[in-house]
Amino acid sequence: MQSLGIDVLFKGTNMIRLLKGLWVSVEISLISVAISIVLGLIVGVLMTAKNRIIRLFFRVYLEIVRIMPQMVLLFIVYFGTTRVFGMNISAELSAIIVFVFWGTAEMGDLVRGSIKSIPRIQYDSAYALGMDKFQVHFFIIFPQTIRRLIPLSINLVTRMVKTTSLVMMIGIVEVLKVAQQIIEANRKASPNAAFGIFAVVFLLYFLVCWPISRFAVKLEKRWA
Amino acid sequence: MKKNLLTKMGTLVISGALIASSLAGCGAKADSSDSASAETTITEEETATADAAEETSEATEDATEDTAKVYRTLDEIKESGTINIGVFSDKSPFGYVDENGEYAGYDVYFAEKIGEDLGVDINYVSTEAANRIEYLQTGKVDIILANFTVTEERAQEVDFALPYMNVALGVVSPSDKVVESLDDVTADDQIIVISGTTAETYLEKNYPDIKLQKYDAYAEAKTAFENGNGVAWANDNTEVIAFSLENEGYTVGIPSLGDADTIAPAVTKGNETLLTWLNDEIETIGNDNFFHKDYEATLLDTYGADYENTLVVEGGKAE
Amino acid sequence: MDLNVLKSYIPLYNEALLLTVKIGFIGILTAFAIGLSGAWAIYFKIPVVKKVLTIYIELFRNTPLLVQLFFIYFALPKLGLKISAELCGILGLGLIGGAYMIETFRSGLESIDKVQSESALSLGMTEGQVFFDIILPQAFSVSMPGIMANVIFLLKETSVFSTISLMDLMFTAKDLIGMYAKTIECLFLLVVYYLIMLLPVSILGSIIERRVRYAEFGD
Repeated sequence: MQSLGIDVLFKGTNMIRLLKGLWVSVEISLISVAISIVLGLIVGVLMTAKNRIIRLFFRVYLEIVRIMPQMVLLFIVYFGTTRVFGMNISAELSAIIVFVFWGTAEMGDLVRGSIKSIPRIQYDSAYALGMDKFQVHFFIIFPQTIRRLIPLSINLVTRMVKTTSLVMMIGIVEVLKVAQQIIEANRKASPNAAFGIFAVVFLLYFLVCWPISRFAVKLEKRWA
Repeated sequence: MKKNLLTKMGTLVISGALIASSLAGCGAKADSSDSASAETTITEEETATADAAEETSEATEDATEDTAKVYRTLDEIKESGTINIGVFSDKSPFGYVDENGEYAGYDVYFAEKIGEDLGVDINYVSTEAANRIEYLQTGKVDIILANFTVTEERAQEVDFALPYMNVALGVVSPSDKVVESLDDVTADDQIIVISGTTAETYLEKNYPDIKLQKYDAYAEAKTAFENGNGVAWANDNTEVIAFSLENEGYTVGIPSLGDADTIAPAVTKGNETLLTWLNDEIETIGNDNFFHKDYEATLLDTYGADYENTLVVEGGKAE
Repeated sequence: MDLNVLKSYIPLYNEALLLTVKIGFIGILTAFAIGLSGAWAIYFKIPVVKKVLTIYIELFRNTPLLVQLFFIYFALPKLGLKISAELCGILGLGLIGGAYMIETFRSGLESIDKVQSESALSLGMTEGQVFFDIILPQAFSVSMPGIMANVIFLLKETSVFSTISLMDLMFTAKDLIGMYAKTIECLFLLVVYYLIMLLPVSILGSIIERRVRYAEFGD
C-alpha cells in the first residue's frame, strides 16, 4: 500500500479549492437561514390565524416539507420549473429556494409553537394598554419568541450545511464535487487519493457543524 | 385524533391535486405549443409559393418560438459577453479540473477556442452525463461540449453540430480477469456504467440480462471500478482505453462494441444561429488542423501518437 | 404529460420503491438496535463505552449521510475494507440513524423521574426488572414522537443512495431523465412514489403522537 493520498491536498491549489467548496456550502446555508427566519416569523403568525383555509394551507405546506426529500425538491425546482414555467433558475438560486422553502416551514412551525406558548394574559394586558395588533406582535410577542428561536435556528444552520452536500447533484461545485475533481485529476499519481480526500471532507464537515451545534446546545441550556 | 387524521388525509388529497393540476396544466401547454408548431410547418409546406402566406407563417413560428424559447441566440450570447459551456469536470483527459482549479482536456481546449473566436468569456458549467440533455433543454448552458456521442435518440432532443471525434463503446476489466466477450458475463457479475451514457443505453437494449451498476459521476464510477465493485467497466472506448493506459493492471478486453459513432458539440433544439456558427467554426479551424493540435496538447500523453488518426475528426468530416 | 410514458415507467419505479423500502427498513431496524443499546449504555454510565458513544454520536450527527456513504463506499476499500452497495446503504443508514436514535431514547429515559426506580428497587425489584418493566416502557412512549420523526428523516435520507449505485427512487428518476429526457413524467412519478412511501408513515406518526399525549395527560 502506498500513501493514503493526503499529500494530494498539498499539490497546487487543491486545499484552497476544497475550502472554497466548503464556503459555497456554508454561504448557501447562511443566506437560506437568514431568509427563512424572516419568512418563518410571518408564516408562524399566519399559522395561528383563525381562518381554517389558511391553517389548512399551511398544514399542507408543512406536510410536503416533512415528507419530500430535499433532493427531490432540488430536482423539481432546478429542472422542473424551467420545463413548466420556462423560467431559468441558476443552480445556486434553486438551492436557496429549496432551502428557504424548507427552513421557512420549520421556522414557521417553531414560531407558531412559541407564540402559542405565550400566556393569553400578555396579549390582554398589552391590548389594555392601548397597543394595536401589530404593536403587540412586534414589541411583546416577537422579542420573546426570537430568544427561543435563536438556538433552534443555529441548529437549522448545521442541518442545512449538511444538506448542501446534495447540491452537487444539480451541478454546484461544492466541497464534494471538488473532492471528486481532485481525485480524478490525480488518479494516476496517487490512486489512493479517494481515501485521503474523502476523509478530509468528512472532517471538514465535522469541523464546521460540530462547533455550531455545540453552541446551539449551550444557548438552549442557558436560555431555556 | 380524528381531526388530525382528517387534516392529513386532506393534505394528501390537496397536495396530490396541486401537483396533478400544475403538471396537467404544463402538459396541456406543452401539447398546445407542439401542435401549434406542427401546424406551422404544415402551413409552410402548403403555401411555400405564396410570399404573403409564408411571411405570416414565419411570424407565427417566431411567436411560438418566443414563448417557448429557452436558448440564447448567437447575438444574445455575444451581447452578454459570456457563453455558458457544459463540460465534464471529472473526466480526464477530456474534461477535468487540474490541480490549479483550471478546466482542462480535449473538450475544454476546443471550448477555449470557441470563446476566443466568439470574443466572449467562458463560464464553464460542470455537468454529469445524465444531465446533458436536460441542461440544453432548460437553457442552463448554451453548448454542451462534454464528450457527447451523437445518437438518433439524442438528436430528437437536441441539435448536434459537426463531429470532432470518433468513438465506439469499449469494456475494460482487471488484467487478471479480462472480460473479452459480454456473453461471458455471468448472472452474478456486475458491469459498471455511468448513468446517461451510450454504454448504458446500449447494454440495456442489447444485453438486458447483464446486471448494471450505475453511477452518476465519472469519478465515482472509476473509484468503484478500482475498488473492484464490478467485473468490468463499459463506457466510450476512448475513455476505457485511456483508463487502461493510465492505470496499471487493467486491460481493454473489448475495444470496440456497437456502432462506430462520433462525438459532437450540441446546442438546444432550434438554436439555428449558434449551430450554424459552430459548424462554420469547426470547418474553418479544420483548415489549420486544429483538432490534431488539440489531440497533441491534451491526449498525446495518454494515448501516444498511435490513436491520433483514429480518434480525431478534422473539419467535421467523419469517415 | 404522456400517460403511456408514465405507464411504461411504473414497473421501474415499483422496483425502486421495493429496494428503497427494503434497505430503509433494515437500516432503520439497525438504527433502532444501536439506539436502544447505546442509550442503555449511556443511561447506566458504562465507563469507556459512554465516551466512545459520545464521539460516535457527535461524528455522525455533524456530518452528512452522503459524505459518510462516500467514505464507507469509496474510501474504506482503499484500506482493504470492501462492502457491497446494499450493505453500505444499510450500514450508513444504521449508523447515522443510530446516532439520532440514541439521543432520542436517552432523553426519553432521562425524562423518567428517578424516584420511580428508587421506589421500585426498594420494593425488591432487580435493576434489570426496574429498567425493562418500569423505565423502558414509559421512556419508549415518551420517545415515540421523536422516533417517528427519525424514521421519516431516515426514509427521506435514502434519496442519497443513488450516489453509491443503489437504484432507489431518486436514482431511477435521474437515470430515466438522463436516458429519455421525459423530465416532467419522471419527476411526477418521483413525487407520487415518495408520497406513497412516506405519507402513511407520517399519518401513523401523528396517530402515535396523539396516543402518547393521551397516555401522558389523559387529554
